[in-house]
Amino acid sequence: MLTFLVRRVVSALGTLLLSSVLVFLAVQALPGDVATQVLGRDATPDAVAALRKQMGLDQPAWERYGHWISGALHGDFGTSLVTTKPVGGEVAQYLGNSALIAVVTILFAVTGSLVLGIVAGLYRDRWPDHLISTVSLVGMSVPEFVVATVLVLAFSVTVPVLPAVVLYGPGAGTGQLLPAVWLPAASLAIVMAAYIVRMARTSVIDVMASEYVTTARLKGLSTWRVVTRHALPSALLPTLHVIALNVAWLVGGVAVVENVFNYPGIGKLMLSSVQNRDLPVIQAIALISAVVYVLCNLAADLGSMALNPKLRTRGGRIR
Amino acid sequence: MSPFQTETSHRTAPAAAGLPRRSLLTTAAAIGGALGGSALLSGCSGAASASPTRAVPTHGPAGRPDRGGTLRIARPPASDAETLDPASALSAYEYLGALYNRLVRIGPDGTVAPDLAESWEPDAKATTWTFRLRRGVTFHDGRAFTSADAAYTLRHILDTATASPQAPVLSPLVDPKRLRTPDAHTLVVPLKSPHAEFPSLLTHYNCYVVPDGSARSIGRTGIGTGPFRLESFAAAGPGRVTAYPDHWAGRPVLDAIDFYSVADMQARSNALLAGQVDLLSQTNLDFATARVIAASDRATIARAENAQWYVLPMLTTEKPFTDVRVRQAMKLAYDPEHILKAALQGAGTAGWDNPVPPNDPTHTAAHPAHDPEQARHLLKKAGHERLAVDLYTSSYDPIFTPMALAYQESAGRAGIRIRVKTAAADSYYTQIWMKKPLMATYWYTGRPVDQLLNQVFRGGSSYNETAWSDKEFDALLDRARRETDAGRRRELYGQAQTLVIERGGAITPMFADRLVGISRKVRGYAEHGFEFDYLRIGLKGA
Repeated sequence: MLTFLVRRVVSALGTLLLSSVLVFLAVQALPGDVATQVLGRDATPDAVAALRKQMGLDQPAWERYGHWISGALHGDFGTSLVTTKPVGGEVAQYLGNSALIAVVTILFAVTGSLVLGIVAGLYRDRWPDHLISTVSLVGMSVPEFVVATVLVLAFSVTVPVLPAVVLYGPGAGTGQLLPAVWLPAASLAIVMAAYIVRMARTSVIDVMASEYVTTARLKGLSTWRVVTRHALPSALLPTLHVIALNVAWLVGGVAVVENVFNYPGIGKLMLSSVQNRDLPVIQAIALISAVVYVLCNLAADLGSMALNPKLRTRGGRIR
Repeated sequence: MSPFQTETSHRTAPAAAGLPRRSLLTTAAAIGGALGGSALLSGCSGAASASPTRAVPTHGPAGRPDRGGTLRIARPPASDAETLDPASALSAYEYLGALYNRLVRIGPDGTVAPDLAESWEPDAKATTWTFRLRRGVTFHDGRAFTSADAAYTLRHILDTATASPQAPVLSPLVDPKRLRTPDAHTLVVPLKSPHAEFPSLLTHYNCYVVPDGSARSIGRTGIGTGPFRLESFAAAGPGRVTAYPDHWAGRPVLDAIDFYSVADMQARSNALLAGQVDLLSQTNLDFATARVIAASDRATIARAENAQWYVLPMLTTEKPFTDVRVRQAMKLAYDPEHILKAALQGAGTAGWDNPVPPNDPTHTAAHPAHDPEQARHLLKKAGHERLAVDLYTSSYDPIFTPMALAYQESAGRAGIRIRVKTAAADSYYTQIWMKKPLMATYWYTGRPVDQLLNQVFRGGSSYNETAWSDKEFDALLDRARRETDAGRRRELYGQAQTLVIERGGAITPMFADRLVGISRKVRGYAEHGFEFDYLRIGLKGA
């Protein structure tokens, strides 16, 4: 168990380091830099060169990378090249706003889709299964901005009960943001739920056909008890990874939805930073996304272990 | 959004945000499709749909506004580093006209009109200009406006630390050390060389008047003489201005204006449809979205006529466009009326390769007719009988690609093969513009003729996107500046336009109306060029 844990943590750190290098290189490859973007069309070559020097862009890439990564290890992500504010605080503010969406989305998507997936699995090839499977297939195929647009048309334009966009800046309070959270969360939940529903359905079908469930039934246990006590934990196992991947996607990939709703979250900050070539901000967000991604996977692995007796005992005792 | 893009958002080629535009076509198409009509897509295929203009009104709602109320404007943020300093390249454009005044502005008829200057006159040779300034004007902090503020504003623009986009236009003419203020209401501007149209250069929106000595604070305080005063402002965030009761031209109709920054155009349209805002600023809606908005019972469409001109600049320093015959052939080969119909659904005016707008007093209609046969003939003479060139576009603006495809089709009839290539939107103006030999772009109208021709077409100027350099043309501009007889000067500007059409590198197919989304409650909306009437705009049932 312990060796497994250590191995997982070491590989997680390795993933983080690798992704930080890849992100750095990818950003270097973007056409144009912050100096040209900030100074605009009227800039003389001298002015661009001066600004580059001032921003330290004239130093070799590996040197800037080293400087950045050592700062990041100390919790210092540098200052934004555009707003000249510390990156850490800025990113934290946007991240907090996104977390609000994420929490609501996860609550919606995970609980809702698990229930639907289990129902579909239990009613395999009967009408509830057909209905749920078809709807989730549609949800899977439609891009999130289309879902978002349809939701806006329905709940902001036709029946105006929820705001279509967020009009406050990043400094908005939770109270101001709360009414605006539902539509983005619903858009994300719909797209995200489809995968979980299908995964949960398959797992439930597999488990219900397995020998130990048959045995449990033969022992005379009620269907409810068989499902909750025996089938569900096993069915949840493979689903956990899908959920973890989706949660990670949620943090890194909400850009499109946040943009449609003008929601001041991390995805929107990422987009404007890429457009501005604001390197320190891009790198900080990428690193945070990588951390979340790695943590989600780690959590899923540990969760699997807790649920799977075989995995639990292989590396030694857990209790 | 990048400052650069901001910079382009109102001045040159507009549009605030790279990404917003990216998602725009797809989302617009999705909505258009969902509601059963996609005029944009039919535009792309080059087939103009049957009189769709009927669906989109030509004017905003008529009638008088009620006094009071708060107007909510959604605007594309200039940059995360926005400022209220009007001279800056990163200024938050929509606030400027509400907070400040200029010495002079552009009237609806295209002529220079009084603002803080009541009158102005040159000496006999147009080398020294004297401005008589309005009396009884106060800044929002109560201080009286005097000639010292006017002189300071000019010095602030010319200060290299400000890095104002208008500095390269003014610095060859104005020496900040020689400005004189003989009394509190007179400003004397001696010029380095004669210029009979000098006041027109001060109509630019970088030239709003700020208080003497305010360079360090103006970006935050926004203290001006305008009809509204600043209550709050956040860069790339929300802000609010309230009516300034002591404004010299009277109190504005509205009590306040709330500004919200919304980067994505689709999000801006949604906010309007949902009734969260009343007006979309700096947003040229594509036709499909405009029809959706016009069909709503909450919002409608108003137009800023001929608000922008579209260009396919040919780099005259790159083959095959180094040959003037090829440039002429490229212009004769296509039909501007066809492009207007296909790309804009007719919402504009054919340009006929002249960038000076039809409503400008100096506009000259001196174009040759569309002539594909003559184009073929010229190409043959130039040795480019089977001409094939790449034309770059991007989703930066919704009209670029429809325009490129319409040009491709039209010029194809003259035997010219155009390959339309789509480039990334967010680096379009740093990697494609002025670098590729042929691409699509646009500019906002509202530039006085002298600034337009000198800034965009004069040899060596920073915005000369075709790198065209013609001594005769430059000399004409110099002569026009020195010419003190207005009729004669107009003639010279006319000749200069003829040269742009005959020899220049810019294919200018059309002027486009800007389709502006407004709430059905808005009354008194008026916008032309860079002028927006903040004083009379209001709401019905406010």
